[in-house]
Amino acid sequence: MTRKASNKVMTAQEAVKRFVHDGATVGMGGQSIGRCAMAVTHEIVRQGIKDLTLVGCNLSMSMDILVGAGLAKRTECGTGNLERFGTTFRWRKAIEDRTLEVEDYSHLAMASRFLAGSLGLPFMPSKSMLGTDILNKQIANGSDAFRVIDNPWDLDEPVVLLPACKPDVSIIHAQKADQMGNIIIEGFTTQEPEMVKASSSVIVSCEELISSDEVRRHPDRTTVPYIFVDAVVVQPWGSFPTSTYGHYEHDPEHLRRYQACARPGGEAYEEYLREFIYECENFDEHLDRAISSARREELRASMQKLL
Amino acid sequence: MAEAYSLDELMVVEASRHISDWDTVMVGTGLPMVASLFALKNHAPNMCYVVETGGIAPEILGTPSSVTDARVMYRAVRHGSLLDALGGVLQRGLADVAFLGGAQIDQFANVNSTVIGDYNSPKVRFPGSGGANDLASHAKKVLIITRHEKRRFPERCDFITSPGYIDGPDGRKRAGLTSPYPDIFVITDLAVMAIDKSTGRLRVEALMPEVSLERVKENTGFELPDGDTEPVEPPTEAELRLLREEVDPGGEYLKTPE
Repeated sequence: MTRKASNKVMTAQEAVKRFVHDGATVGMGGQSIGRCAMAVTHEIVRQGIKDLTLVGCNLSMSMDILVGAGLAKRTECGTGNLERFGTTFRWRKAIEDRTLEVEDYSHLAMASRFLAGSLGLPFMPSKSMLGTDILNKQIANGSDAFRVIDNPWDLDEPVVLLPACKPDVSIIHAQKADQMGNIIIEGFTTQEPEMVKASSSVIVSCEELISSDEVRRHPDRTTVPYIFVDAVVVQPWGSFPTSTYGHYEHDPEHLRRYQACARPGGEAYEEYLREFIYECENFDEHLDRAISSARREELRASMQKLL
Repeated sequence: MAEAYSLDELMVVEASRHISDWDTVMVGTGLPMVASLFALKNHAPNMCYVVETGGIAPEILGTPSSVTDARVMYRAVRHGSLLDALGGVLQRGLADVAFLGGAQIDQFANVNSTVIGDYNSPKVRFPGSGGANDLASHAKKVLIITRHEKRRFPERCDFITSPGYIDGPDGRKRAGLTSPYPDIFVITDLAVMAIDKSTGRLRVEALMPEVSLERVKENTGFELPDGDTEPVEPPTEAELRLLREEVDPGGEYLKTPE
């Protein structure tokens, strides 16, 4: 359904209430320690929306929090980790305890599934994963997600078919949006352009609300136009402690703090969720608890040096 | 006597020698990034660095901690998407060299970065493929830098995340991979192992300084054939200076000798 050009600005609370439901398949924006949709993720945790299937290429801290809070039943992704900051510990533990269903793909395979969804196609061919256990063991397990066929034009060539991935809702954090929901992502875009266009609903949080006149002056800069977008949440620092290119760097201090709680789990982890999510009315309150204004200035200045 | 260089420095300089000028190289972070930057500054000034996240030909700043770090995006000619990089460059067949890492590497150079133990009841779960499977599937040459420990080199990976030669010389061709006979090099602190295309198996091609073939065999969980080996040239003073002063000046990635 094409979304209208109405004013879509709302709070994270309202956006999550309207567009994220129990049992939803959620497309996760960002990658690793960059541009994860943390503000919207926190709101999903506060509202306790459960039985979620989380999909993306690299799933990172936002996914780990939803798994750690007991709200996810399944992931479909290429990786779970935060690169140099370690693995996604709650995810790893849930897989090892067999309390989470997982479907494994390569990054390109997931990006291809979103591409199929974004083009209104039922599947996408891929030449990745051939000859590996990503295919063989998951097919042996009865997964219906991977079909190997012969290229119809060259019967000697095996090709993998992957089903389109069409999230019920995608949550992403962008640098800019206008009130209509036109999105501008600067820097790397991960799988988000395809994922967003494949989704039934889209919530975007943004660092900066710009005017629609400004969007129309530079239409070539629009990453995703408003016809795909349902809610705009204006939330500076909305990807903290992951970075937003052009605005601020990731915060190693808070990332390590999270990982130090996520690794052991148990009381330490519950305490993290309580202090930084449940007890906070909104993401601004989280930011007030998690990072000083002096530190915010440092992370902004440090990003400016890299541009 | 203290070594003039560390094992990390030795591995990185050796890995860089497998990159030629004008190569398109797909790199993440960590030691592969250091090896690629070293190649760029030392002997491959026209190398094109491509980052999984979509950065094409950036100048790398300092010591990035992620493929999303702005340090891998500086002065790129384009910032794109995963689909651009992994689909439009890599699967398209334009990557000359790609770097991989993983928990296990077996005799056919298959790589496991998914799970130790049974997939359905894992002992230890690792992050998964990420772009690694894509890189191993499509690049013309694959480089793996890793410490040489027996447990990392089993006969067979618990789970094949990224394909080497799968099960023999024509394993990739049979599987339908578009790059059926790539060069694969495993660069460790003891040796350089390379795929022997007649068997599809790894053999020791070169030995690190003062390392014997016996010692490599003792530290490898699969059988390595006997055969001629070359000695790896240690890094020169000029190479070490470039590495320490320009590529990794803070020593963030590379330990220097004690």
